[in-house]
Amino acid sequence: MMPDLQQVGEGQTQQWAPNTTAPVVLLENVSKTYGKIHALSEITLALSGGVTGILGTNGAGKSTLFNLLMGKLKPSSGKVKLFGTDPWKNPAPYARVGFVPEHEKMHDWMTAHGFVSLFARLNGLTREEAKVEADRVLNFVGLTDVAHKQLGRYSKGMRQRVKIAHALVNDPELIVLDEPLQGCDPLARTTIMNVIRELGKMGRTVLVSSHILHEIERITEQIVILHNGRLLALGNLHAIREKMDNIPHTISIGCENPKELAKDIINNDAVYGISFPSGDNLQIQTHNLNEVHRELPALIVANGHKVSSIDNPDDDLESILNYLTGGMSR
Amino acid sequence: MISTPKKDNVFRALDRKLGAVAEFTMRQYRTKLSTWVILGVGFIAIFIVVLFYVDSMQQDIEAIDNDGDSIDWDGDGYPTGQERIYGTDPDNPDSHPGTFTPPIAPDPPEKWINEDDFDWDLSANGDTTVGYDDDGDCRLSDSTQSQKDNNRNNVECDIILDYNEMQGKWAEPDSDRLVDEDPDEEKYAKEAIHRAFLLAIGKMGFVFLLGIFLPLFLATGLIREEMENSTMHFMLAKPIARRDVFLGRIVGYLGVVWPYIIAMGLIVGIISGFAGPGDSFFRFADLGMWMAIIFATMLATLVYGMLFCALGTLWKRGIVLALPFAAWELGMAILSFNAPTASILRFSVIGWSLNIIDAASLVVWPNMNLFINMGLWGGGHGAGGYWSNSIEGADALSAFSSDTGLGISPIATIVVSTIVLLFQALILWLVGSAIFKGKEIE
Repeated sequence: MMPDLQQVGEGQTQQWAPNTTAPVVLLENVSKTYGKIHALSEITLALSGGVTGILGTNGAGKSTLFNLLMGKLKPSSGKVKLFGTDPWKNPAPYARVGFVPEHEKMHDWMTAHGFVSLFARLNGLTREEAKVEADRVLNFVGLTDVAHKQLGRYSKGMRQRVKIAHALVNDPELIVLDEPLQGCDPLARTTIMNVIRELGKMGRTVLVSSHILHEIERITEQIVILHNGRLLALGNLHAIREKMDNIPHTISIGCENPKELAKDIINNDAVYGISFPSGDNLQIQTHNLNEVHRELPALIVANGHKVSSIDNPDDDLESILNYLTGGMSR
Repeated sequence: MISTPKKDNVFRALDRKLGAVAEFTMRQYRTKLSTWVILGVGFIAIFIVVLFYVDSMQQDIEAIDNDGDSIDWDGDGYPTGQERIYGTDPDNPDSHPGTFTPPIAPDPPEKWINEDDFDWDLSANGDTTVGYDDDGDCRLSDSTQSQKDNNRNNVECDIILDYNEMQGKWAEPDSDRLVDEDPDEEKYAKEAIHRAFLLAIGKMGFVFLLGIFLPLFLATGLIREEMENSTMHFMLAKPIARRDVFLGRIVGYLGVVWPYIIAMGLIVGIISGFAGPGDSFFRFADLGMWMAIIFATMLATLVYGMLFCALGTLWKRGIVLALPFAAWELGMAILSFNAPTASILRFSVIGWSLNIIDAASLVVWPNMNLFINMGLWGGGHGAGGYWSNSIEGADALSAFSSDTGLGISPIATIVVSTIVLLFQALILWLVGSAIFKGKEIE
C-alpha cells in the first residue's frame, strides 16, 4: 500500500537552509495571551522525530500551540522555532512541514486532486509536477479511486484524508495534525491512524492533537499533556499510567450474576468498595489497579462466573488530568 | 522515481506559487454566484446607456432654418433665398424669377434649409480665417461694403478664428454677416453627440462605474473571506510569503476583471463604431479612444483592487471603509469635468485615469476645442447671443470633454498618468501585504 516517498521536482526554497542541529520543533517560554486570558503560559518544549500526541481538553491550548507553530499567531512572549527559524517572520520552513488544520471548511467545488495539486504548487512545484505529486499522496491515503470527485460529495473521513494528503505533499519532515480523528467513522479512523503510525516509522516528526486518550494511545506512547494553557506532563503514556495505579480507581464488570461475583471479590485486600449500578453490572473501588487486574481473571475462571466486559470507566483523559492536577481539574 | 528538475524560466517560476494562487482565485470566482451577478449588473448598466445612445443616433435631428430664407413671405411660390439670388423682391408677390424668360422654376423650401453649412476643416492651429458664403446672401450686390465685412479684416464674407496661445483655447468665431449662418444641424449634432457619448461612457460608465464597483464587490473580500472561512489556514501553512498570497489573489481578480473590461469595451466600441455618424461604414478612428478607455479602466481596477483588498484585510467590514473612498473618487470625477487642472485631483485615482481618456480624445479628435466652439457658435445669428445659437450636442460634448490638466502633450500625459497609477498600485500592494502580514489568523 505504501508507495515510496521520493519527492517529485524540487521545492523552491533553496535560499533557506534549515538548521540541522536545531530541534524540529522548539518552543522556549512561549506564552500567548488575549488580554487577561492566558491561552498558553510559559511552554518550553523541544521535539524531534517520532509521533507525539498532544493531549488536552477543549480549550487547553492545543490549537493555539499549533497556530503558533504554523505562523498564524505571534507569541506574546518567548521563542517559537521550526528547524531553527521563526515561522512568524519567515514562511520558508513550511517547505518541510505539513499541516492538517482542525477547520472543517474546504472549497467544496474543488476535486480532491485539484485541491492537493493546488497546494503542491504552493510548495514550489510546477503544474505537471504537482499533478504527479497529488496522485502520489492521494494514493498514500487511499483515495485514488475518488480523487476526481468534488470535495462537497466527500464524507467527513474522506475529507480528513484529503487534508492529510495535502499536508504530505513534498514529503515533509514535520507533520502537524490538529484533531485528525474528530468526527471520523471507524474505517477512516483506522486508515488515518495507520497513516500516522507509518509516518512515524519513516522517521518523520509527527504531532497529533486529541482530547480522547485511547485514540492517542493507539497511535503513540509519547505524549504531551496540556491543561489550561500549561504543560502538565511530557513523556511516556505508560509511565504516567503506572503512577496512577496507586490512586483510587473504579472498575466496571458486566456479568450475569453480580451479587455472586461480589462475594468472591470482596475478600481481596485491594478492593475497598462494591456497588451495583444495574442488574447485570458491578462496580468495584480499588487502591491498587494492578493487583486487581492480576487477580481478577483467575478468580472469575475459578468460580465459573459469566463475565461479558471489564472496563475502567475513568481511565481516560479526565482521570489522568484529575490525578496530575491533584483533583483541581474539575 | 526522481524526475530531473527542468531549468526554471520566468514562466515556469510563475507556474509555481503565484500562478497557483491566481489560478485558484479565478476558479473560485467562477463558482460564486455573486461574481456573475456583479458582472451581469455591470453589463446591464452599460448596455442601458448604449441603448439610449443607439436610439439617439437613429433619431433625426430637426433641421432648423436659422436665417429664415426658406420661407416664402410674399406668397409667390419662391423661397426668399431663391428670390435674393435672382435679385427679385422677396416682399412683392409680383416680383419673382418666374417672370424671367425663360421662367425659372421655384425651389422646394427644403433646399433653403441648412443651405449654408460650416466650410471649415479643423486643421487650424493659430489665428486664421475660414468660411464661405454658400447661399450668396452675404455677397449680394446690394449689400454695403461694411455689411460684407463687419469683422473688419478687409476680407469679404469670412470668419475669423482667434487662437489664444496662453490658454490654448479658441475664442468665439468672429463672423461676417450671413456667412455659414445656416449649418447642417444633423451632421454636427450627430458627431458631437457621438463624441460626448464616448467620453461620458468611457469616463463615468467604464472608469467610474466599472472601475470602482467591480473592485468594491470583487476585491474587498479577496483576503478577508478566506480568513473568515478559515480556508486561509491551508494556504498559509505552505512556504509562500503573505505578500505573494496577496499579489496572487489580486492577479487572479484581474484575470477575471480585465478580460471582462476588454470584452465590454470591444462590444460597446464595435456597436458605437457602426451606429455612429460618418461617411465610412465603421469609425475606425474611434478604436484609439476605446483602447484608451479600456486601458484606463484596467489601471483603475488594478489600483482600486489593491486598495479595497487592503481595506478588507484591515477590517472585517472593509466595504464600509471603501465607501468613503468611492464617494471621494466620485467627487473628484465631477471636479475633473469642470476644473481639470485642480491640484487636488492628483490625490485621487480617478483623476489620473480620466487624464488618459482626455488625452486620448485630443489625439483621436484633433482640435476638439475648435469643434466644440463651432457648435456653440452655431451660425452666430439669432436673438439670444452666443449660447442660444448652439447646436444640439455641443453643450454635452463641452461638459464631458476636458483638458488633460497636466499642461503637457497628450502622449506625455498618458505616459505620466500610467506611471503614477502603477506607482499607486505598488504602494497599495506593499501597504496591503504589510497589514496582512501583521494579522493573526485563527
